[in-house]
Amino acid sequence: MSHTSRNFVVAYVLLVGLPLLGLAGVLRTGRTLVAPISVDGVWKIEADASRLSGGSCGKTLASLSNTSVGISQSGKSLVLTFNNPSKTVASGALEGKSLKASIVPARDSSSDCSADQSLALTATVDPKSEPRSLTGVLLVSGCSSCAPVEFHATREPRSSAGGAH
Amino acid sequence: MPNLFTLVLQIAVVLAVCRLVGELFRKIHQPRVVGEMFAGIMLGPSLLGWLAPHFSSYLFPASSLGFLNALSQVGVVVFMFLVGLGINPRELKKQGHAAVLTSHVSITAPFVLAAFLSLYLYPRLSDDSVAFTNFALFMGAAMSITAFPVLARILAERNMLGSRLGTVAIACAAVDDVTGWCILAYIVVLIRSAHSSTSIWTTIGGIVVFGLVMIYGVRRLLRGYERVYKEKGELSENLMALMLLLVLVSALCTEYLGIHLLFGAFLMGAIMPKQRHFVRYVLDRFETITVTLLLPLFFAFTGLRTNIGLVKGPEMWMYCGLIILVATVGKLGGSTLASWLTGMPLREAAGLGTLMNTRGLMELVILNIGLDIGVISPALFSMMVIMALFTTFMTTPILALICPKEFLAREPEKVVARPATPPISLHDGESQVA
Repeated sequence: MSHTSRNFVVAYVLLVGLPLLGLAGVLRTGRTLVAPISVDGVWKIEADASRLSGGSCGKTLASLSNTSVGISQSGKSLVLTFNNPSKTVASGALEGKSLKASIVPARDSSSDCSADQSLALTATVDPKSEPRSLTGVLLVSGCSSCAPVEFHATREPRSSAGGAH
Repeated sequence: MPNLFTLVLQIAVVLAVCRLVGELFRKIHQPRVVGEMFAGIMLGPSLLGWLAPHFSSYLFPASSLGFLNALSQVGVVVFMFLVGLGINPRELKKQGHAAVLTSHVSITAPFVLAAFLSLYLYPRLSDDSVAFTNFALFMGAAMSITAFPVLARILAERNMLGSRLGTVAIACAAVDDVTGWCILAYIVVLIRSAHSSTSIWTTIGGIVVFGLVMIYGVRRLLRGYERVYKEKGELSENLMALMLLLVLVSALCTEYLGIHLLFGAFLMGAIMPKQRHFVRYVLDRFETITVTLLLPLFFAFTGLRTNIGLVKGPEMWMYCGLIILVATVGKLGGSTLASWLTGMPLREAAGLGTLMNTRGLMELVILNIGLDIGVISPALFSMMVIMALFTTFMTTPILALICPKEFLAREPEKVVARPATPPISLHDGESQVA
């Protein structure tokens, strides 16, 4: 082997071979990492209908409770898009199995919420159920007389080949 | 059925905005394609949707995006065929050991650094539906890609195609792209097979058989194209239609086998004859509609999926900064170090590193696949798009700083023969494939 070829082999081992060994180590280490529970996808919400009638924000609560919600997930950060007539969008967060989101109702003539009222969604994910499910409540912030609406949601099967997001 | 009025309106707006912004970017000495990438982002929720949400939802209603996507994907299929056609990995052999080492380091350095970064990002930007291995491999592939065509375009604009720096850069970028796409194909197979009833070994077996048939069977038949071109100086419309049909069939085969349409199109281009004038002839035939009409639709569709608003708060912007830093250190730093260690003068080596750091449209194609198969989240997708824009945008000014035209003029002894295969879109310095 010539001097040049030997140098090439040494450089190749150092600059390509060793990093690839490092890559193998990273892939092995990474298997122990835990990522947030997946809640990405479309969820069908089923609410307790008897608690929906009347009251402040009643119509808004009803529109959010009898529909589906699309959750777009980036780690713990969530964007919820409700499939109601006003396509309400909310941002939320995931902490362990607990999901929290604050919803600002549409400020138009169709809204039955006052200007200072907002809605809060809290739910717990059951990661063991298949399909994955959520159980929680929707409540009106700043309204002590408004009863929270309990709901249950199940994730719809994914249509894309890959799955998430 | 699509709402034709909406679809045609969308196409018109996209074309107008892309041409306008592309032209503005040319005024600041950037390739037009960089401007078109920015135009796509501007038409999405990051700017238009943020400033004028009602107009945005009128112009791009959610129900219409499927048709826009379908059109843009057809454009990307043809584009990938053209990229494969322009690539000639044999160029690397002519450059010797130094270029082989530089090329391989320019893949492994960003790949390994991206995998290390994945250790930090995975628990923060992913979820448990994505395996760490898939996440890390995807990040590696996405960070190690080089936009071969936009690199060629920058070299052509600076009259550097015939220089040693230019030829090594073209050869390395070709190898990087082929390697990057092979790794990506593997990841797509891994992920799709997890959601499919077909065994991964059946899928891999099918892909290997398909690849062998293409390389050892179809490739020989394709030489007939070159023969006809040599005899007649042109190809008939029927032959061009047959070529397009072969691209589509190859794309359908890879989609059916569980990878992606784009791999088949790329492979068909890669196995086409590489005689210089023949390649130029085919590129000229396909390029205009693809580049001026269909690719802007892809930029717009990518822009509609990119929401910079998802990158909110100092923490998210720190992740984005880290991604840009790691991508640049890995690609620019790795290529510079390897080429300098193998004897290239430091300034030239830094120029090569800068060129290899160009990601352009190739990065957007890969990122869209990643988002489709669910291996990256929407926020990470947006961060990676920002990284692609940033690294592509920085190439021209940094290159002008490191390798000014006077520097190249002082180095006549380094000028070598033009590469045997002309890169895409170099005629008259006007076209803009990225």
